[in-house]
Amino acid sequence: MNFDLTEEQQLVSDSIERFVQDNYNLESRMALVGQGPGFSEAHWKSMSELGWFGLSFSEDDGGFGGNQLDTMILMEHFGKGLVLEPFLASIVLGGGVLKRTGNEAQRKQWLESVIDGSKQLALAYSEADSGYEPHNVAVAGTKTADGFTITGTKCMVQHGGTADALVVSFRTSGGTTDKSGISLALIPADREGVTVQGFLTVDGLQSAEIAFDKVVVSAEDLLGDVDNGFAALNATINDGILAIAAEAVGAMEVLYKDTVAYTQEREQFDHALADFQVLQHRMVEMFMEHEQCKSLLYRATMEVANGGDDAQRNIHALKHLIGKAAFFVGENAVQTHGGMGVTEELRVGHYFKRLLVIEAQFGNTDYHLDQFAA
Amino acid sequence: MDIDLSADDLAFEKEVREFLSENAYTHGANPEKWRMKWFEKAKEKGGWDVPKWPAKFGGPGWTPNQHYIWQKETARAGTPWDLPFGLSMLAPVLMAHGSQEQQDRFLPAIRAREVNWCQGYSEPGAGSDLASLKTKAELTEDGKHYVVNGTKIWTTMAHIADWIFCLTRTSDAGIKQEGITFLLFPMKQEGIEVKPIITLGGSHTVNTVFFTDVKVPVENRVGEEGKGWAYAKGLLEHERTGIAGISNSIVALEGLKQRASSVKRGNGSLMDTPSFRSKIAELEIDLMAVEYTELRSLATASAGTAPGPESSILKLKGTEIQQRIQKLTMEAGGEFSAAWGGINSGPEFARAGMGGYMSSRVYTIYGGASEVQKDIITKKVLGIKSTKK
Ligand SMILES: Cc1cc2nc3c(=O)[nH]c(=O)nc-3n(C[C@H](O)[C@H](O)[C@H](O)COP(=O)(O)OP(=O)(O)OC[C@H]3O[C@@H](n4cnc5c(N)ncnc54)[C@H](O)[C@@H]3O)c2cc1C
Ligand SMILES: Cc1cc2nc3c(=O)[nH]c(=O)nc-3n(C[C@H](O)[C@H](O)[C@H](O)COP(=O)(O)OP(=O)(O)OC[C@H]3O[C@@H](n4cnc5c(N)ncnc54)[C@H](O)[C@@H]3O)c2cc1C
Repeated sequence: MNFDLTEEQQLVSDSIERFVQDNYNLESRMALVGQGPGFSEAHWKSMSELGWFGLSFSEDDGGFGGNQLDTMILMEHFGKGLVLEPFLASIVLGGGVLKRTGNEAQRKQWLESVIDGSKQLALAYSEADSGYEPHNVAVAGTKTADGFTITGTKCMVQHGGTADALVVSFRTSGGTTDKSGISLALIPADREGVTVQGFLTVDGLQSAEIAFDKVVVSAEDLLGDVDNGFAALNATINDGILAIAAEAVGAMEVLYKDTVAYTQEREQFDHALADFQVLQHRMVEMFMEHEQCKSLLYRATMEVANGGDDAQRNIHALKHLIGKAAFFVGENAVQTHGGMGVTEELRVGHYFKRLLVIEAQFGNTDYHLDQFAA
Repeated sequence: MDIDLSADDLAFEKEVREFLSENAYTHGANPEKWRMKWFEKAKEKGGWDVPKWPAKFGGPGWTPNQHYIWQKETARAGTPWDLPFGLSMLAPVLMAHGSQEQQDRFLPAIRAREVNWCQGYSEPGAGSDLASLKTKAELTEDGKHYVVNGTKIWTTMAHIADWIFCLTRTSDAGIKQEGITFLLFPMKQEGIEVKPIITLGGSHTVNTVFFTDVKVPVENRVGEEGKGWAYAKGLLEHERTGIAGISNSIVALEGLKQRASSVKRGNGSLMDTPSFRSKIAELEIDLMAVEYTELRSLATASAGTAPGPESSILKLKGTEIQQRIQKLTMEAGGEFSAAWGGINSGPEFARAGMGGYMSSRVYTIYGGASEVQKDIITKKVLGIKSTKK
């Protein structure tokens, strides 16, 4: 058994850590939030030049042949810096479906530019009544001579407002909640009938609501076999869960460490706050939650990367634990900072907000508990 | 033990319901006009505009049961917006410790909702340890004024307040609780600067307030110099019962259940999912208990006197429950709660985003953090004293 990183992974990890340390602080982040694309084009370019976007793609596709473990290393550091760039949306999600379903021509046309960062993707799968189930798809594809036209609305499409193309799930047969009958397509965002309404989420990231009005999907746009899109979609969402779980682990580390530091500086009643045992024990619990999440993150990531039988259960367990811990660590970090904890001035509140959005993405804490128990 | 309402109570309940429905806001009415009219009408009922004030000061002099009925009915029907600072925090202090002149001067304007007050207690260095406050008030040589210098922080509504009630330090001798003096002064004057603090929901309610040589006439001192801590402590206890909000939570829980039933999950609603359903049930059970905790506390507190330290349990339980309601509301909104405007899909109630939940985090911080409330119960109720030698 061995939880050490390989020499290569360690090098990458160190370089990401340095990059995040050098480039992300609250002030520079706040200058980007809600402005222009909502992230730094310059950072995006640097990331691509450092080769991070290719980590989890095969060598044939122009990547480095890595897997979810590499993404985990990256995302944990991103979580420590509250990184704004659309790595999850474009590389893990959009790229994730594409690498699983794309034919030769599609890979050639898109993957190269996704990996070099010149094009960005977003995954449009969730709908108003999906209730966290990726197979709950009502957006309908109507058969045409050469393919389909699709109509309906996709919601909470992360970075959908800046994506060049959208990976879209739509129903081509069966009932709304059936796992079969779901098809996937890659649709340029500027195609006729696509209306994108971007907005900010509470964590300062970008999301979008995307309406499709009789949008033409030709055979060339289809990803994989008609009606059989669910497996690839689900596998990609699982990758997304692993990625944001890693991000959450990074964010929780910052929160508990900031709390430990703050309570040693702040004095009340002629004592550092850290002298109060109730706070000491609470911080011990925050630390424990973080470590537990890390353990389950490793477990689930390896299970998925190795294609284990228990992968899906691991995913449910992980997303549940991460959500529970995110609330515990976030709420207590805020509480222990007192009034300062609820201001925009200190970074704890911002990490907390990111954790809240992570909790709600890809199925929340309760949803995954129910799935695990089912 | 008897929890049935008497015939008189039932008649009172009917009267309250009638009043509230007769004076309910009608769509399209001018909210501010309606608000003032509402208080006017309530006053005509015999002090219903100041339910918690003792009869001697124009309050209704209700029994605990009547207070309970009022709370319940107004939670359901809604009342015009009101700020607690003048009405529920300062007024009891003036009634107990203010001079006749001060009572005559300040209480009518508070009652008429003409003058807005803010509470100047916390300082950058004095939060939980409020008694360590440093804002200095020095008497001028002629003994006519105090000159106030220092910084207050987290002052809610300081940016709209007309007046502030303020704890200041007039002496460094003795223990820190001594030498604190309770002053009243207008906010719109030279030497006062108000700087906004933006909180997590992106809103502006709290401020930092800087005082530079602010002159306060001695007649604006409440009670004796150096006794302000004792007055303020009574005030903090009033504040604690005010923020438990149990009747409101009962109404909010009903609303939450309805909302959750409207959210689709699979072929049913969110209320059909085991995990969410059991969290709602747990919440309801706690609320059933705390409702009776409040009734017990109401029954022992005779109107007009400060509730004792046991009221601390109400703030702890009441705020925890409010936070859980906000959290479950956010969870019911699902991923749509993450949107910060600009979205059309998802449940209507989720449009408020995570703001309600984030604002609810302060419930366990302001008015004395929960940990400090527990310290008070440890000492005052459990009777535990530090034995460290
Ligand atoms: C079944 C059993 C087997 C044991 N076997 C062994 C053994 O093989 N060898 C051995 O040496 N000892 C053994 N012990 C003793 C054990 O280590 C002590 O019980 C333990 O150290 C606690 O000491 P105490 O019982 O005197 O409790 P106390 O020290 O009196 O403490 C009582 C309780 O007070 C609380 N408390 C104490 N200190 C603090 C603090 N600083 N902060 C907050 N809370 C505090 C804790 O809740 C604690 O449980 C055993 C005990 C049990 C019950
Ligand atoms: C939204 C908001 C509105 C407010 N409005 C007003 C107002 O109008 N007027 C006013 O005067 N003040 C106001 N306050 C201030 C409020 O009363 C203080 O924030 C509160 O007393 C806590 O003080 P602090 O923020 O300095 O936290 P600190 O005293 O620094 O405490 C930080 C945290 O440490 C912990 N802690 C503190 N002491 C202990 C202890 N002894 N044992 C264990 N744990 C402890 C608690 O978790 C606490 O939350 C407001 C605060 C907020 C957030």
